[in-house]
Amino acid sequence: MDANLDQLVVLLMDGDSAAALQEGRRLRAADGGGPRLVVAALEAAMDRMSTKCTTEQFNLLEIMLTGRAAMAVARDTFPEGAMPATKGTVVIATPEGDVHDLGKNLTRMVLTAKGFRVVDCGKDCPLPVMVMAVAREDAFALLVSGLISPVVPMVRQLRSLLRERGLAGIQLVAGGAALKQCTAEALNVDYVAGDAFDCARHLELLQAHRP
Amino acid sequence: MNGLERILAAVRFQDLDRVPVVPQVFGHAARAAGLPLDRYLTDPAVLARCQAAAMEDYRADAVFALLDVNVETEALGSRLRYAKDSYPYVEHPVLERASAVGGLRLPDPRRAGRMPVALEAARLLRHAVGDRALVAGCVLGPMTLACQLMGAEAALFAAVDTPAAFEQVLDFAVDLALRFGAAQLEAGAHLCLVFEPSASPAVVPPGFFRELLAPRLRRLGAGLRDGGAVAGWLAIAGPIEPILPSFPACGVDIASFDYCVDPRRARAAAPRLGLAGNIRPLAFVDSGPEAIAEACAPVLDLARTGGVILSSGCEIPLEARPECVRALARAARAEGGRP
Repeated sequence: MDANLDQLVVLLMDGDSAAALQEGRRLRAADGGGPRLVVAALEAAMDRMSTKCTTEQFNLLEIMLTGRAAMAVARDTFPEGAMPATKGTVVIATPEGDVHDLGKNLTRMVLTAKGFRVVDCGKDCPLPVMVMAVAREDAFALLVSGLISPVVPMVRQLRSLLRERGLAGIQLVAGGAALKQCTAEALNVDYVAGDAFDCARHLELLQAHRP
Repeated sequence: MNGLERILAAVRFQDLDRVPVVPQVFGHAARAAGLPLDRYLTDPAVLARCQAAAMEDYRADAVFALLDVNVETEALGSRLRYAKDSYPYVEHPVLERASAVGGLRLPDPRRAGRMPVALEAARLLRHAVGDRALVAGCVLGPMTLACQLMGAEAALFAAVDTPAAFEQVLDFAVDLALRFGAAQLEAGAHLCLVFEPSASPAVVPPGFFRELLAPRLRRLGAGLRDGGAVAGWLAIAGPIEPILPSFPACGVDIASFDYCVDPRRARAAAPRLGLAGNIRPLAFVDSGPEAIAEACAPVLDLARTGGVILSSGCEIPLEARPECVRALARAARAEGGRP
Protein backbone atom coordinates (compact mmCIF):
# COMPACT_ATOMS: atom_id res chain seq x y z
CA MET A 1 0.00 0.00 0.00
CA ASP A 2 1.06 3.58 -0.64
CA ALA A 3 2.88 4.68 2.53
CA ASN A 4 1.01 7.97 2.34
CA LEU A 5 -2.24 6.16 2.96
CA ASP A 6 -1.10 4.04 5.83
CA GLN A 7 -1.67 6.54 8.62
CA LEU A 8 -5.25 7.25 7.53
CA VAL A 9 -5.98 3.54 7.22
CA VAL A 10 -4.69 2.96 10.76
CA LEU A 11 -6.80 5.81 12.14
CA LEU A 12 -9.89 4.52 10.36
CA MET A 13 -9.26 1.02 11.71
CA ASP A 14 -8.98 2.53 15.20
CA GLY A 15 -12.29 4.32 14.67
CA ASP A 16 -10.66 7.64 15.55
CA SER A 17 -12.95 10.01 13.62
CA ALA A 18 -11.33 13.29 14.66
CA ALA A 19 -7.77 12.24 13.85
CA ALA A 20 -8.91 10.54 10.64
CA LEU A 21 -10.55 13.78 9.51
CA GLN A 22 -7.30 15.69 10.02
CA GLU A 23 -5.26 13.06 8.23
CA GLY A 24 -7.77 12.99 5.36
CA ARG A 25 -7.38 16.74 4.95
CA ARG A 26 -3.61 16.42 5.00
CA LEU A 27 -3.73 13.76 2.31
CA ARG A 28 -5.99 15.85 0.11
CA ALA A 29 -3.66 18.80 0.44
CA ALA A 30 -0.70 16.59 -0.44
CA ASP A 31 -2.60 15.38 -3.50
CA GLY A 32 -3.22 18.87 -4.79
CA GLY A 33 -6.71 19.01 -3.27
CA GLY A 34 -7.89 15.84 -5.02
CA PRO A 35 -9.75 12.99 -3.31
CA ARG A 36 -7.85 10.12 -4.95
CA LEU A 37 -5.69 9.19 -1.94
CA VAL A 38 -8.56 9.51 0.53
CA VAL A 39 -10.81 7.26 -1.55
CA ALA A 40 -8.01 4.71 -1.82
CA ALA A 41 -7.48 4.84 1.95
CA LEU A 42 -11.19 4.32 2.65
CA GLU A 43 -11.27 1.25 0.48
CA ALA A 44 -8.01 -0.05 1.93
CA ALA A 45 -9.39 0.33 5.47
CA MET A 46 -12.50 -1.65 4.55
CA ASP A 47 -10.37 -4.35 2.93
CA ARG A 48 -8.21 -4.60 6.03
CA MET A 49 -11.26 -4.71 8.28
CA SER A 50 -12.74 -7.37 6.04
CA THR A 51 -9.67 -9.54 6.55
CA LYS A 52 -9.69 -8.93 10.30
CA CYS A 53 -13.39 -9.56 10.74
CA THR A 54 -13.74 -13.07 9.52
CA THR A 55 -17.21 -14.36 10.26
CA GLU A 56 -15.87 -15.89 13.48
CA GLN A 57 -14.39 -12.62 14.74
CA PHE A 58 -16.97 -10.17 13.49
CA ASN A 59 -18.23 -7.68 16.03
CA LEU A 60 -20.51 -4.76 15.37
CA LEU A 61 -18.87 -2.25 17.65
CA GLU A 62 -15.43 -2.17 16.02
CA ILE A 63 -16.91 -2.06 12.55
CA MET A 64 -19.36 0.67 13.50
CA LEU A 65 -16.48 2.79 14.78
CA THR A 66 -14.49 2.29 11.61
CA GLY A 67 -17.61 2.93 9.55
CA ARG A 68 -18.39 6.13 11.43
CA ALA A 69 -14.85 7.43 10.95
CA ALA A 70 -14.93 6.49 7.26
CA MET A 71 -18.24 8.30 6.74
CA ALA A 72 -16.90 11.39 8.53
CA VAL A 73 -13.89 11.49 6.20
CA ALA A 74 -16.10 10.82 3.17
CA ARG A 75 -18.49 13.65 4.10
CA ASP A 76 -15.56 16.00 4.61
CA THR A 77 -14.05 15.02 1.28
CA PHE A 78 -17.32 15.13 -0.65
CA PRO A 79 -19.43 17.76 1.11
CA GLU A 80 -22.02 17.59 -1.66
CA GLY A 81 -22.66 14.04 -0.49
CA ALA A 82 -21.60 12.01 -3.49
CA MET A 83 -18.79 9.53 -2.93
CA PRO A 84 -17.57 8.28 -6.29
CA ALA A 85 -19.55 5.12 -6.96
CA THR A 86 -17.29 3.01 -9.11
CA LYS A 87 -18.93 -0.31 -8.38
CA GLY A 88 -22.56 0.32 -9.24
CA THR A 89 -25.79 0.95 -7.33
CA VAL A 90 -27.48 -1.30 -4.79
CA VAL A 91 -30.70 -0.89 -2.81
CA ILE A 92 -30.77 -1.94 0.83
CA ALA A 93 -33.70 -2.26 3.26
CA THR A 94 -35.08 -4.02 6.32
CA PRO A 95 -38.49 -5.52 5.49
CA GLU A 96 -41.78 -4.34 6.94
CA GLY A 97 -42.32 -5.56 10.49
CA ASP A 98 -38.65 -5.45 11.40
CA VAL A 99 -37.36 -2.27 13.01
CA HIS A 100 -33.83 -3.46 13.76
CA ASP A 101 -31.53 -1.60 11.39
CA LEU A 102 -28.10 -1.79 12.98
CA GLY A 103 -26.89 -4.48 10.57
CA LYS A 104 -28.37 -2.70 7.58
CA ASN A 105 -26.75 0.60 8.54
CA LEU A 106 -23.41 -1.06 9.01
CA THR A 107 -23.63 -2.78 5.63
CA ARG A 108 -24.50 0.56 4.04
CA MET A 109 -21.40 2.14 5.55
CA VAL A 110 -19.11 -0.69 4.45
CA LEU A 111 -20.45 -0.74 0.90
CA THR A 112 -20.32 3.05 0.56
CA ALA A 113 -16.71 3.14 1.71
CA LYS A 114 -15.91 0.38 -0.78
CA GLY A 115 -17.24 2.39 -3.71
CA PHE A 116 -20.84 1.26 -4.13
CA ARG A 117 -23.71 3.71 -4.39
CA VAL A 118 -26.14 2.57 -1.71
CA VAL A 119 -29.79 3.61 -1.80
CA ASP A 120 -31.17 3.00 1.69
CA CYS A 121 -34.93 2.39 1.89
CA GLY A 122 -34.76 2.25 5.68
CA LYS A 123 -36.33 -0.13 8.18
CA ASP A 124 -39.90 -1.45 8.34
CA CYS A 125 -39.94 -1.08 4.56
CA PRO A 126 -42.82 -2.48 2.44
CA LEU A 127 -41.66 -4.82 -0.34
CA PRO A 128 -43.11 -2.70 -3.20
CA VAL A 129 -41.07 0.28 -2.01
CA MET A 130 -37.86 -1.76 -2.31
CA VAL A 131 -38.78 -3.02 -5.78
CA MET A 132 -39.68 0.47 -6.98
CA ALA A 133 -36.35 1.77 -5.68
CA VAL A 134 -34.48 -0.92 -7.60
CA ALA A 135 -36.22 0.13 -10.83
CA ARG A 136 -35.91 3.85 -10.20
CA GLU A 137 -32.25 3.80 -9.22
CA ASP A 138 -31.15 1.28 -11.85
CA ALA A 139 -29.66 -0.89 -9.12
CA PHE A 140 -28.01 -4.20 -9.93
CA ALA A 141 -28.73 -5.73 -6.49
CA LEU A 142 -31.33 -5.65 -3.75
CA LEU A 143 -30.04 -6.35 -0.22
CA VAL A 144 -32.46 -7.31 2.56
CA SER A 145 -31.50 -7.50 6.20
CA GLY A 146 -33.70 -9.21 8.81
CA LEU A 147 -33.19 -9.86 12.50
CA ILE A 148 -36.54 -11.48 13.26
CA SER A 149 -38.07 -14.60 11.78
CA PRO A 150 -41.47 -13.19 10.66
CA VAL A 151 -39.71 -11.45 7.76
CA VAL A 152 -38.70 -14.77 6.19
CA PRO A 153 -41.97 -15.28 4.23
CA MET A 154 -41.71 -11.71 2.94
CA VAL A 155 -38.20 -12.20 1.64
CA ARG A 156 -39.42 -15.26 -0.25
CA GLN A 157 -41.84 -13.04 -2.21
CA LEU A 158 -39.21 -10.62 -3.46
CA ARG A 159 -38.14 -12.66 -6.48
CA SER A 160 -41.62 -12.78 -7.95
CA LEU A 161 -42.23 -9.10 -7.23
CA LEU A 162 -39.03 -8.23 -9.06
CA ARG A 163 -40.04 -10.44 -12.00
CA GLU A 164 -43.43 -8.72 -12.20
CA ARG A 165 -41.59 -5.42 -12.66
CA GLY A 166 -39.34 -6.86 -15.37
CA LEU A 167 -36.39 -7.03 -12.95
CA ALA A 168 -35.70 -10.74 -13.08
CA GLY A 169 -31.94 -10.22 -13.45
CA ILE A 170 -31.54 -8.32 -10.20
CA GLN A 171 -29.25 -9.95 -7.69
CA LEU A 172 -31.01 -10.67 -4.39
CA VAL A 173 -28.86 -10.87 -1.27
CA ALA A 174 -30.14 -11.57 2.26
CA GLY A 175 -28.40 -11.13 5.61
CA GLY A 176 -29.02 -10.55 9.32
CA ALA A 177 -29.48 -12.86 12.29
CA ALA A 178 -32.77 -14.45 11.19
CA LEU A 179 -32.18 -14.63 7.47
CA LYS A 180 -28.73 -16.13 7.74
CA GLN A 181 -30.24 -19.16 9.47
CA CYS A 182 -31.79 -20.01 6.09
CA THR A 183 -30.29 -21.23 2.84
CA ALA A 184 -30.47 -19.14 -0.33
CA GLU A 185 -32.82 -21.74 -1.80
CA ALA A 186 -35.18 -21.55 1.17
CA LEU A 187 -35.32 -17.75 0.90
CA ASN A 188 -35.51 -17.77 -2.89
CA VAL A 189 -32.55 -15.38 -3.09
CA ASP A 190 -29.21 -15.56 -4.87
CA TYR A 191 -26.97 -15.35 -1.84
CA VAL A 192 -27.10 -15.29 1.95
CA ALA A 193 -24.29 -13.13 3.31
CA GLY A 194 -22.67 -14.06 6.63
CA ASP A 195 -21.84 -10.42 7.38
CA ALA A 196 -21.39 -7.01 5.75
CA PHE A 197 -17.95 -7.85 4.36
CA ASP A 198 -19.14 -11.15 2.96
CA CYS A 199 -21.89 -9.17 1.23
CA ALA A 200 -19.32 -6.72 -0.16
CA ARG A 201 -17.11 -9.55 -1.42
CA HIS A 202 -20.05 -11.19 -3.14
CA LEU A 203 -21.09 -7.95 -4.86
CA GLU A 204 -17.52 -7.18 -5.93
CA LEU A 205 -17.21 -10.64 -7.41
CA LEU A 206 -20.43 -10.13 -9.34
CA GLN A 207 -19.25 -6.79 -10.66
CA ALA A 208 -15.94 -8.25 -11.70
CA HIS A 209 -17.76 -10.81 -13.84
CA ARG A 210 -20.30 -8.45 -15.36
CA PRO A 211 -19.96 -7.91 -19.09
CA MET B 1 -37.74 -36.87 38.93
CA ASN B 2 -39.77 -33.78 38.24
CA GLY B 3 -38.73 -30.96 35.93
CA LEU B 4 -37.16 -28.75 38.56
CA GLU B 5 -35.19 -31.62 40.10
CA ARG B 6 -34.09 -32.75 36.65
CA ILE B 7 -32.78 -29.33 35.63
CA LEU B 8 -30.92 -28.79 38.90
CA ALA B 9 -29.44 -32.28 38.78
CA ALA B 10 -28.33 -31.74 35.19
CA VAL B 11 -26.46 -28.53 35.92
CA ARG B 12 -24.85 -30.17 38.95
CA PHE B 13 -23.70 -33.03 36.70
CA GLN B 14 -25.68 -35.54 38.76
CA ASP B 15 -27.43 -38.67 37.53
CA LEU B 16 -30.70 -38.17 35.65
CA ASP B 17 -33.69 -40.17 34.45
CA ARG B 18 -33.43 -38.26 31.17
CA VAL B 19 -32.01 -35.04 29.74
CA PRO B 20 -34.12 -32.01 30.75
CA VAL B 21 -36.01 -30.30 27.96
CA VAL B 22 -36.53 -26.54 27.97
CA PRO B 23 -37.65 -25.16 24.62
CA GLN B 24 -37.41 -21.38 24.91
CA VAL B 25 -41.12 -20.90 24.33
CA PHE B 26 -42.15 -17.33 25.10
CA GLY B 27 -44.70 -15.56 22.85
CA HIS B 28 -45.07 -18.73 20.81
CA ALA B 29 -47.15 -20.06 23.70
CA ALA B 30 -49.86 -17.53 22.77
CA ARG B 31 -49.78 -18.51 19.10
CA ALA B 32 -49.97 -22.18 20.03
CA ALA B 33 -53.05 -21.41 22.14
CA GLY B 34 -54.63 -19.40 19.32
CA LEU B 35 -54.49 -16.13 21.23
CA PRO B 36 -53.20 -12.75 20.08
CA LEU B 37 -49.78 -11.84 21.39
CA ASP B 38 -50.84 -8.45 22.75
CA ARG B 39 -53.14 -10.15 25.28
CA TYR B 40 -50.38 -12.54 26.29
CA LEU B 41 -48.01 -9.62 26.92
CA THR B 42 -50.42 -7.59 29.01
CA ASP B 43 -52.60 -10.11 30.88
CA PRO B 44 -50.78 -12.29 33.43
CA ALA B 45 -53.58 -14.84 33.57
CA VAL B 46 -53.42 -15.34 29.81
CA LEU B 47 -49.63 -15.66 29.92
CA ALA B 48 -49.75 -18.17 32.75
CA ARG B 49 -52.46 -20.23 31.09
CA CYS B 50 -50.60 -20.32 27.76
CA GLN B 51 -47.29 -21.20 29.42
CA ALA B 52 -48.84 -24.00 31.44
CA ALA B 53 -50.54 -25.40 28.32
CA ALA B 54 -47.30 -25.20 26.33
CA MET B 55 -45.42 -26.98 29.10
CA GLU B 56 -47.91 -29.84 29.00
CA ASP B 57 -48.07 -30.03 25.21
CA TYR B 58 -44.31 -29.83 24.73
CA ARG B 59 -43.57 -31.93 27.86
CA ALA B 60 -41.14 -29.23 28.95
CA ASP B 61 -39.38 -29.04 32.30
CA ALA B 62 -39.79 -25.27 32.70
CA VAL B 63 -42.19 -22.39 32.18
CA PHE B 64 -41.28 -18.76 31.55
CA ALA B 65 -42.90 -15.78 33.24
CA LEU B 66 -41.35 -13.62 30.57
CA LEU B 67 -43.00 -10.90 28.49
CA ASP B 68 -40.56 -9.25 26.10
CA VAL B 69 -37.35 -7.23 26.08
CA ASN B 70 -39.14 -3.90 26.53
CA VAL B 71 -40.55 -4.29 30.04
CA GLU B 72 -37.74 -2.48 31.87
CA THR B 73 -37.27 0.36 29.39
CA GLU B 74 -41.05 0.94 29.21
CA ALA B 75 -41.21 1.10 33.02
CA LEU B 76 -38.58 3.84 32.89
CA GLY B 77 -40.44 5.93 30.34
CA SER B 78 -39.49 4.71 26.85
CA ARG B 79 -42.45 4.82 24.48
CA LEU B 80 -43.34 1.54 22.79
CA ARG B 81 -45.32 0.78 19.69
CA TYR B 82 -47.63 -2.19 20.17
CA ALA B 83 -49.06 -4.49 17.53
CA LYS B 84 -51.77 -7.09 17.87
CA ASP B 85 -49.72 -10.11 16.99
CA SER B 86 -46.05 -9.22 17.15
CA TYR B 87 -43.73 -8.02 19.88
CA PRO B 88 -43.76 -4.29 20.66
CA TYR B 89 -40.68 -2.23 19.98
CA VAL B 90 -39.17 0.95 21.36
CA GLU B 91 -40.35 3.93 19.36
CA HIS B 92 -38.74 6.59 21.56
CA PRO B 93 -35.99 5.50 23.95
CA VAL B 94 -36.05 7.31 27.28
CA LEU B 95 -32.34 8.08 27.45
CA GLU B 96 -31.07 10.61 24.92
CA ARG B 97 -27.50 10.42 26.13
CA ALA B 98 -25.63 8.30 28.64
CA SER B 99 -24.90 11.22 30.93
CA ALA B 100 -28.64 11.73 31.49
CA VAL B 101 -28.88 8.45 33.40
CA GLY B 102 -28.63 10.36 36.68
CA GLY B 103 -32.12 11.68 35.95
CA LEU B 104 -33.64 8.19 35.94
CA ARG B 105 -35.11 6.74 39.11
CA LEU B 106 -35.37 3.03 39.79
CA PRO B 107 -38.98 1.99 39.19
CA ASP B 108 -41.16 0.15 41.69
CA PRO B 109 -41.75 -3.27 40.08
CA ARG B 110 -45.16 -3.51 41.76
CA ARG B 111 -46.40 -0.44 39.90
CA ALA B 112 -44.25 0.54 36.93
CA GLY B 113 -45.41 -0.25 33.38
CA ARG B 114 -45.91 -3.97 32.77
CA MET B 115 -43.59 -5.07 35.56
CA PRO B 116 -46.62 -6.03 37.68
CA VAL B 117 -47.78 -8.28 34.81
CA ALA B 118 -44.50 -10.17 35.00
CA LEU B 119 -44.74 -10.47 38.78
CA GLU B 120 -48.32 -11.72 38.69
CA ALA B 121 -47.46 -14.18 35.91
CA ALA B 122 -44.63 -15.57 38.06
CA ARG B 123 -47.00 -15.89 41.01
CA LEU B 124 -49.69 -17.65 38.97
CA LEU B 125 -47.23 -20.02 37.33
CA ARG B 126 -45.61 -20.96 40.62
CA HIS B 127 -49.05 -21.58 42.05
CA ALA B 128 -49.92 -23.74 39.05
CA VAL B 129 -46.75 -25.85 38.82
CA GLY B 130 -45.34 -25.54 42.32
CA ASP B 131 -41.96 -27.24 42.39
CA ARG B 132 -42.87 -29.75 39.68
CA ALA B 133 -41.18 -27.60 37.05
CA LEU B 134 -38.81 -24.67 36.94
CA VAL B 135 -40.54 -21.28 36.93
CA ALA B 136 -38.19 -18.85 35.22
CA GLY B 137 -38.54 -15.09 35.42
CA CYS B 138 -36.37 -12.77 33.36
CA VAL B 139 -34.30 -9.64 33.67
CA LEU B 140 -32.28 -7.91 30.98
CA GLY B 141 -28.52 -7.90 31.36
CA PRO B 142 -26.81 -4.51 31.63
CA MET B 143 -25.64 -4.22 28.02
CA THR B 144 -29.01 -5.18 26.61
CA LEU B 145 -30.87 -2.80 28.90
CA ALA B 146 -28.45 0.00 27.95
CA CYS B 147 -29.32 -0.65 24.30
CA GLN B 148 -33.04 -0.67 25.13
CA LEU B 149 -32.73 2.60 27.05
CA MET B 150 -30.72 4.48 24.42
CA GLY B 151 -31.18 2.62 21.14
CA ALA B 152 -28.52 0.10 20.16
CA GLU B 153 -26.47 2.34 17.89
CA ALA B 154 -26.40 5.23 20.36
CA ALA B 155 -25.50 2.89 23.22
CA LEU B 156 -22.61 1.31 21.36
CA PHE B 157 -21.17 4.67 20.35
CA ALA B 158 -21.64 5.96 23.90
CA ALA B 159 -19.62 3.03 25.19
CA VAL B 160 -16.65 4.43 23.26
CA ASP B 161 -17.32 8.17 23.20
CA THR B 162 -18.42 8.70 26.80
CA PRO B 163 -17.19 5.60 28.64
CA ALA B 164 -17.56 6.94 32.17
CA ALA B 165 -21.18 7.94 31.62
CA PHE B 166 -21.85 4.68 29.84
CA GLU B 167 -20.54 2.73 32.82
CA GLN B 168 -23.05 4.62 34.94
CA VAL B 169 -25.78 3.39 32.59
CA LEU B 170 -24.51 -0.16 33.03
CA ASP B 171 -24.47 0.20 36.82
CA PHE B 172 -27.97 1.63 36.80
CA ALA B 173 -29.08 -1.32 34.64
CA VAL B 174 -27.68 -3.78 37.19
CA ASP B 175 -29.44 -1.97 40.05
CA LEU B 176 -32.69 -2.16 38.13
CA ALA B 177 -32.22 -5.85 37.28
CA LEU B 178 -31.53 -6.63 40.93
CA ARG B 179 -34.68 -4.85 42.06
CA PHE B 180 -36.90 -6.34 39.35
CA GLY B 181 -35.31 -9.76 39.77
CA ALA B 182 -35.80 -9.75 43.55
CA ALA B 183 -39.48 -8.94 43.05
CA GLN B 184 -39.89 -11.81 40.57
CA LEU B 185 -38.18 -14.25 42.94
CA GLU B 186 -40.40 -13.06 45.75
CA ALA B 187 -43.44 -13.53 43.51
CA GLY B 188 -42.55 -17.16 42.89
CA ALA B 189 -39.90 -17.49 40.19
CA HIS B 190 -37.26 -20.12 40.98
CA LEU B 191 -34.67 -18.11 39.08
CA CYS B 192 -34.37 -15.20 36.67
CA LEU B 193 -32.99 -15.80 33.24
CA VAL B 194 -30.52 -12.99 32.54
CA PHE B 195 -31.21 -12.11 28.92
CA GLU B 196 -28.16 -10.38 27.50
CA PRO B 197 -27.99 -10.77 23.69
CA SER B 198 -26.27 -7.40 23.23
CA ALA B 199 -23.23 -8.75 25.09
CA SER B 200 -22.65 -11.25 22.29
CA PRO B 201 -19.17 -11.33 20.73
CA ALA B 202 -21.06 -10.60 17.50
CA VAL B 203 -21.86 -7.18 18.96
CA VAL B 204 -18.97 -6.27 21.29
CA PRO B 205 -15.44 -7.66 21.45
CA PRO B 206 -14.69 -10.33 24.08
CA GLY B 207 -12.36 -7.88 25.85
CA PHE B 208 -15.25 -5.45 26.26
CA PHE B 209 -17.30 -8.27 27.79
CA ARG B 210 -14.57 -9.28 30.21
CA GLU B 211 -13.71 -5.74 31.28
CA LEU B 212 -17.07 -4.00 31.42
CA LEU B 213 -19.81 -6.60 31.51
CA ALA B 214 -18.48 -9.63 33.38
CA PRO B 215 -17.97 -7.74 36.68
CA ARG B 216 -21.49 -6.38 36.46
CA LEU B 217 -22.97 -9.75 35.57
CA ARG B 218 -21.12 -11.12 38.60
CA ARG B 219 -22.78 -8.53 40.84
CA LEU B 220 -26.15 -9.29 39.28
CA GLY B 221 -25.70 -13.05 39.63
CA ALA B 222 -24.69 -12.75 43.29
CA GLY B 223 -27.64 -10.48 44.05
CA LEU B 224 -30.14 -12.80 42.40
CA ARG B 225 -28.69 -15.73 44.34
CA ASP B 226 -29.06 -13.73 47.56
CA GLY B 227 -32.68 -13.12 46.56
CA GLY B 228 -33.32 -16.85 46.47
CA ALA B 229 -32.57 -17.90 42.89
CA VAL B 230 -31.93 -21.64 42.73
CA ALA B 231 -29.37 -21.14 39.94
CA GLY B 232 -27.94 -18.49 37.63
CA TRP B 233 -28.95 -18.66 33.95
CA LEU B 234 -27.33 -16.41 31.35
CA ALA B 235 -28.61 -16.19 27.78
CA ILE B 236 -26.28 -14.58 25.25
CA ALA B 237 -26.86 -15.37 21.60
CA GLY B 238 -24.31 -15.77 18.83
CA PRO B 239 -20.71 -17.03 18.90
CA ILE B 240 -20.14 -17.05 22.68
CA GLU B 241 -17.25 -19.52 22.75
CA PRO B 242 -14.59 -16.85 23.52
CA ILE B 243 -16.50 -15.55 26.56
CA LEU B 244 -17.84 -18.85 27.93
CA PRO B 245 -14.81 -19.38 30.21
CA SER B 246 -15.78 -16.16 32.06
CA PHE B 247 -19.28 -17.39 32.88
CA PRO B 248 -18.68 -19.50 36.02
CA ALA B 249 -16.97 -16.58 37.74
CA CYS B 250 -20.10 -14.51 36.99
CA GLY B 251 -22.19 -16.93 39.06
CA VAL B 252 -23.61 -18.60 35.98
CA ASP B 253 -24.76 -22.21 36.39
CA ILE B 254 -26.59 -22.48 33.07
CA ALA B 255 -25.52 -20.84 29.81
CA SER B 256 -27.77 -20.82 26.77
CA PHE B 257 -25.74 -21.42 23.62
CA ASP B 258 -26.80 -20.78 20.08
CA TYR B 259 -26.86 -22.99 17.00
CA CYS B 260 -23.63 -21.48 15.69
CA VAL B 261 -21.62 -22.89 18.64
CA ASP B 262 -20.50 -26.51 18.40
CA PRO B 263 -21.60 -28.34 21.58
CA ARG B 264 -18.23 -30.02 22.06
CA ARG B 265 -16.37 -26.74 21.71
CA ALA B 266 -18.75 -25.12 24.18
CA ARG B 267 -18.00 -27.91 26.64
CA ALA B 268 -14.26 -27.54 26.09
CA ALA B 269 -14.54 -23.81 26.81
CA ALA B 270 -16.49 -24.37 30.04
CA PRO B 271 -16.05 -27.94 31.33
CA ARG B 272 -18.27 -27.67 34.44
CA LEU B 273 -20.92 -25.26 33.21
CA GLY B 274 -24.52 -26.24 32.53
CA LEU B 275 -25.21 -25.76 28.84
CA ALA B 276 -28.68 -25.22 27.37
CA GLY B 277 -29.01 -25.43 23.63
CA ASN B 278 -28.61 -25.36 20.80
CA ILE B 279 -31.17 -26.20 18.14
CA ARG B 280 -31.37 -23.57 15.38
CA PRO B 281 -34.47 -21.49 16.19
CA LEU B 282 -35.70 -21.24 12.60
CA ALA B 283 -35.52 -25.03 12.29
CA PHE B 284 -38.74 -25.06 14.33
CA VAL B 285 -40.33 -23.16 11.45
CA ASP B 286 -38.67 -24.38 8.28
CA SER B 287 -37.94 -28.05 8.97
CA GLY B 288 -39.81 -31.06 10.34
CA PRO B 289 -39.79 -33.27 13.44
CA GLU B 290 -37.27 -35.68 11.90
CA ALA B 291 -34.83 -32.87 11.20
CA ILE B 292 -35.24 -31.61 14.77
CA ALA B 293 -34.54 -35.09 16.13
CA GLU B 294 -31.42 -35.24 13.99
CA ALA B 295 -30.30 -31.81 15.19
CA CYS B 296 -30.70 -32.97 18.81
CA ALA B 297 -28.21 -35.80 18.40
CA PRO B 298 -24.98 -33.82 19.07
CA VAL B 299 -26.52 -32.19 22.16
CA LEU B 300 -27.78 -35.51 23.50
CA ASP B 301 -24.38 -36.99 22.81
CA LEU B 302 -22.80 -34.27 24.93
CA ALA B 303 -25.43 -34.85 27.63
CA ARG B 304 -23.99 -38.32 28.31
CA THR B 305 -21.34 -36.64 30.44
CA GLY B 306 -23.89 -34.42 32.20
CA GLY B 307 -24.45 -30.69 32.44
CA VAL B 308 -26.81 -30.33 29.49
CA ILE B 309 -30.35 -29.07 28.96
CA LEU B 310 -31.85 -29.76 25.55
CA SER B 311 -33.15 -26.43 24.29
CA SER B 312 -33.38 -24.09 21.36
CA GLY B 313 -30.38 -21.87 20.64
CA CYS B 314 -32.51 -18.81 21.31
CA GLU B 315 -36.22 -18.02 21.46
CA ILE B 316 -38.52 -20.41 19.59
CA PRO B 317 -40.06 -18.22 16.85
CA LEU B 318 -43.68 -17.17 17.23
CA GLU B 319 -44.63 -19.03 14.08
CA ALA B 320 -42.88 -22.32 15.04
CA ARG B 321 -44.60 -25.57 14.09
CA PRO B 322 -45.81 -27.26 17.30
CA GLU B 323 -44.88 -30.73 15.99
CA CYS B 324 -41.26 -29.51 15.70
CA VAL B 325 -41.23 -28.27 19.31
CA ARG B 326 -42.73 -31.59 20.48
CA ALA B 327 -39.86 -33.37 18.76
CA LEU B 328 -37.43 -32.01 21.37
CA ALA B 329 -39.04 -33.88 24.26
CA ARG B 330 -39.44 -36.99 22.12
CA ALA B 331 -35.73 -36.98 21.35
CA ALA B 332 -34.81 -36.58 25.03
CA ARG B 333 -37.14 -39.38 26.13
CA ALA B 334 -35.79 -41.70 23.45
CA GLU B 335 -32.28 -41.02 24.71
CA GLY B 336 -33.08 -41.69 28.39
CA GLY B 337 -30.71 -41.01 31.27
CA ARG B 338 -26.97 -41.00 31.70
CA PRO B 339 -25.43 -44.44 31.20
